[in-house]
Amino acid sequence: MSLIAQSPLFWFPDGTSLSNLGPMWALIGTMVALLLAPLAVGRGARTASLIALIGAVLTAAACFWVLPRVGEGGWAGMAPFDRAPMLVVDNFSLFFTLLLSLFLSAIIGLWIFGYYSPAPHSDMHRNAPEFFVLLLASALGMVIMVSTSHVLMILIAVELASLPSYALAGFDKRRRLGAEASLKYVLFGGITSAIMIYGASLLYGIYGTMDLAVIARGMASPDGVSVLSTIATFALMVGIGFKISAVPFHFWCPDVFEGAAIEVTTWLSVVSKAAGLGLLVRVVSMLAQVGIEPGYGYALATGIGLFATLTCTVGNLSAFRQTNIKRLLAYSSIAHAGYMLMAAAILVQAAPDAAHPAFSALAAYLVVYLFMNLGAFGCAAMVYWATGSESIEGYGNLGRRHTFLAIAMTICLVSLVGLPPLGGFAAKYWLLVNVWDAGMIWLVIVAVLNTALSLYYYVRVIRQMWLVEDDSPAISAPAGGLAIVGLCSFVILWTGTLAIGTLRITAEDATKYLYLGGAEPPAARTAAVSDAPPSGSPGGFR
Amino acid sequence: MTIGLTHYLILSAAMFACGVMCMMLKRNAVGVLVGIELLLNAANVNFVAFARYRTGAMDGQIAAVFVILLAAAEAAIAIAIFMNFYNNAATIDVDRGATLRG
Repeated sequence: MSLIAQSPLFWFPDGTSLSNLGPMWALIGTMVALLLAPLAVGRGARTASLIALIGAVLTAAACFWVLPRVGEGGWAGMAPFDRAPMLVVDNFSLFFTLLLSLFLSAIIGLWIFGYYSPAPHSDMHRNAPEFFVLLLASALGMVIMVSTSHVLMILIAVELASLPSYALAGFDKRRRLGAEASLKYVLFGGITSAIMIYGASLLYGIYGTMDLAVIARGMASPDGVSVLSTIATFALMVGIGFKISAVPFHFWCPDVFEGAAIEVTTWLSVVSKAAGLGLLVRVVSMLAQVGIEPGYGYALATGIGLFATLTCTVGNLSAFRQTNIKRLLAYSSIAHAGYMLMAAAILVQAAPDAAHPAFSALAAYLVVYLFMNLGAFGCAAMVYWATGSESIEGYGNLGRRHTFLAIAMTICLVSLVGLPPLGGFAAKYWLLVNVWDAGMIWLVIVAVLNTALSLYYYVRVIRQMWLVEDDSPAISAPAGGLAIVGLCSFVILWTGTLAIGTLRITAEDATKYLYLGGAEPPAARTAAVSDAPPSGSPGGFR
Repeated sequence: MTIGLTHYLILSAAMFACGVMCMMLKRNAVGVLVGIELLLNAANVNFVAFARYRTGAMDGQIAAVFVILLAAAEAAIAIAIFMNFYNNAATIDVDRGATLRG
């Protein structure tokens, strides 16, 4: 065994490395259990949902178990000979994994309440084991997205997150809208990921490595940035832009959100964007932390800022004329992706220390955004289960028909606008303070103008709920679902008032120790370009 | 004439251009998928050529193997989704998928 371990051709990770990946093992184990359970105890929907719920809770527990083990600076590994680490576990990735697993439990909860609601069952309920396997596989992909700094792993993670999502969008085979949504999703996703992989192959060719830290050092060196490497970086960003639905890669978002089942929509609306943004800030901070040339850094910051401007403006303007609540929330989520992109824009500016304030601002925004969107989509789901309608017309006089639901929905929508005293305001305020401090004042003006714009379409729903006369009968909603949206409303109120400081401290703790590339620069492996292969190159099987 | 890195890069760029043309001009969903596969294989040629002529390491070849695997998985999912769309709409013309809009 030791002979094999010493051989350069074989390499095995040790026990410490494997146990640092606890949350991923929990997700993988749950997927295997979900696939094997039908053989042992039948294809019961209740068994499958219970296993998935236990898996989500185990994943959250594994985050707390791993957190003290990785320590300051995080842990990077799963690579032979200490070079080009494939996976990175640090406070930021564990914080994100925890957030994702808690959200996963909430989605499984929504599924369970939908299963017991009077609304008719769909394929999603009949084929529960497959549904949960796909859901957990996309969760695993998103966890890997935020815990890697290696270009090949980024490609695999983005595909692992995307492929199950395509299937989830069209999971109900009898719905034409779902079929069309998944068709658009798979074609658009396939094109953007193909462009991303082509960009990655160019980056590999230019810098001779797929480790982002080494690529960043290559960019920082004199004449390290060329037109080709800029195009390659942009192509890599296309795939990430697709995940966070940044304009102009957002076309899939409203169609998929409208066509997919509401549980899937809720899942995609939060974690797909959260994982994409987590990946984006890691890529940008890796490229920025070695001190790229100021002119190039300024161009990169302005470019990301322009994308952010375009994303939130287009999202807000398109939301104006929507009549379907899921479509309206889809455009609202595009606008929020724009606000969160602003955090990535200021990353390029030099940071006072290793922990850049952009990370903590983004983490705080993601926490609040998760609860706002879960609350809003949860309310929309319960109205749908009771009335079978997803149009805003169907919300007429909801204040009388179900007062609690209407109050929770109002809190979530006002928080999505970003008005005090709610969590949405606290998160947006802190994000914009950081953008202001970074000197990008025009971006702050854009965000404030957009907030004013967005007021119109959120208030339209609130007006429909409280001021429009409608004599439809009162509706009933499952107690568990009401508990989820009640909890969301409480957290939004709490983070906007008493817990502003707690929110900020939690976010700062979550982003205190980051992995920012290896300590010592490995020797450059790039040989001069020649038409003859380098002689005596290591590891070649020729 | 010796075949060198430049020739492989020209081949890869040509495949990329063909793939983009295919994606833009085809209205059939399978045609678009063929374009996507051309793009992925152009990236594979890049990976392998750079690994052979530039870095001399194995990681480019390994990346190409993974990209082949990703392309296979994506094709499997995509074709299942096309079948599902065909069952619902009796066509796989991407322009006919216009029920969702706005």
